[in-house]
Amino acid sequence: MKSLYYCAFGIIYKELLRFIKQKSRFFSALVRPLLWLVIFSSGFKAALGLAIIPPYETYITYETYIVPGLIGMILLFNGMQSSLSTLFDKEMGSMKILLSSHISRNYLLFCKMFATGLVSTIQSMAFLFVAYFYGVQMELLAYIIIVPVILFTSIILNAFALFVSSVIKQLENFASVMNFVIFPMFFMSSALYPLWKIKDSSLLLFNLSSYNPFTYIVEFIRFSLYLKFDLSTFIIIIILFLSSLVLAFIGYQSKSTSSKKNK
Amino acid sequence: MKTLLRVENIFYSYDKKEVLKNISLEIKEGEFFVLLGLNGAGKSTLFSLITRLLSLQDGKIFINSYSLTNYKKALKNIGIVFQESSLDLDLSIRQNLFFYACIQGVNFTEAFLKIQDELKALDLLDKLDIKIRDLNQGHRRRVEILRSLINDPKILLLDEATVGLDVKSRFDILEFIRLMVKNRNICVLWITHLFDEVKGDDKVALMKDGEIIENCLLEEMLIKHNKKSLNEVFSYLTQARKEGK
Repeated sequence: MKSLYYCAFGIIYKELLRFIKQKSRFFSALVRPLLWLVIFSSGFKAALGLAIIPPYETYITYETYIVPGLIGMILLFNGMQSSLSTLFDKEMGSMKILLSSHISRNYLLFCKMFATGLVSTIQSMAFLFVAYFYGVQMELLAYIIIVPVILFTSIILNAFALFVSSVIKQLENFASVMNFVIFPMFFMSSALYPLWKIKDSSLLLFNLSSYNPFTYIVEFIRFSLYLKFDLSTFIIIIILFLSSLVLAFIGYQSKSTSSKKNK
Repeated sequence: MKTLLRVENIFYSYDKKEVLKNISLEIKEGEFFVLLGLNGAGKSTLFSLITRLLSLQDGKIFINSYSLTNYKKALKNIGIVFQESSLDLDLSIRQNLFFYACIQGVNFTEAFLKIQDELKALDLLDKLDIKIRDLNQGHRRRVEILRSLINDPKILLLDEATVGLDVKSRFDILEFIRLMVKNRNICVLWITHLFDEVKGDDKVALMKDGEIIENCLLEEMLIKHNKKSLNEVFSYLTQARKEGK
């Protein structure tokens, strides 16, 4: 039991240490959503007028609407950055020391996802702090409740990112992940506009967005920020959590290239 | 002497290409065992199977009497140095050692006390707070070797541990490892393609095209084949295989 504790502590320690040392990583993760909040929302709030939709009980500003989506953006990009660093570790060899440990590989991977989740949570809270002064304010309780919600949803995205890193064979292929995974996931979701807006333009896109896991992550964050609970979203989040963990664990099982020798 | 590593009838294929063919070997306590072969012989595949980076297709591996299927007990007894550097470049030596101790599930403070002699011997005592990025290749390798000792292993596995180092650093490291075998009574599996790293009282397994073509003490090997050097033995055996002797 003690060894599991040391192990979790070590992985979290290393992730936080890296985070502290790479100050530019913190600022770029903060600046990206802030640019969207300040510049993108200023330009688009007029064009994208919003109707009253749950969990909001009144008309809200566009800035207020996109804050949960931008938190999702931090988690998504952080998860993918972690995937990139895992891929780098895999190429450079340092991932091997994790994979050859006598401690359960699944446990080690979960600790890694959790550690990255902690970093994402710190970044998201910093973003919410800045957004507060920009005028997007929540109730005090929401700032407390959102911490475990962000951590939990971040683990889902980190697990998914780990799975992606297990599938990609070369570092060079990571650019394709940006084009074919991250951007579609982000833009085909309710992060920047409600799904009914998409439905107005394209039914196909609406259907695709409705099946996008990232939509549910953003909605879960949105509802939690307004101290609302939506059971169906919560159930989907739990399913996403379990399935993404399974995918990540499968991705990092020892590879057996050929099923059996050819005698 | 107790057998610490036993590999039994290992076969391994990448798709349809058979890269390991019926590999068996045994390494006992206090032995310095060299697995020698040219590039592509299958040495690193065998290394990956022992360290569980690849999963077994056929055959068995026992580490300190535990089957690798019981990896939680088996892998507890090994220290590993990979061919590629696996240190975090932005962390200091101390931080890298701390991280490794943690993922091995050991208390760093206790483990650190146990490697003080090696820390001095490897000339790393005054460099503990230096970032890996600021160390030369030789010192990086030393850190990896030191790190592999942190869980007090019974078996040390080193895959091409001296690759890319100058001659002095190579032989310094080799000497250090040989001394450790005696001092700690551990066993070492030293994987290399460099013939000059083998000494008379080392046990050597020569590997060629996924097979072990000879396996005994170097001194015995030279007498058996009536050759003056290991290089000659290897050439003779590979030629003999070509001619189907």
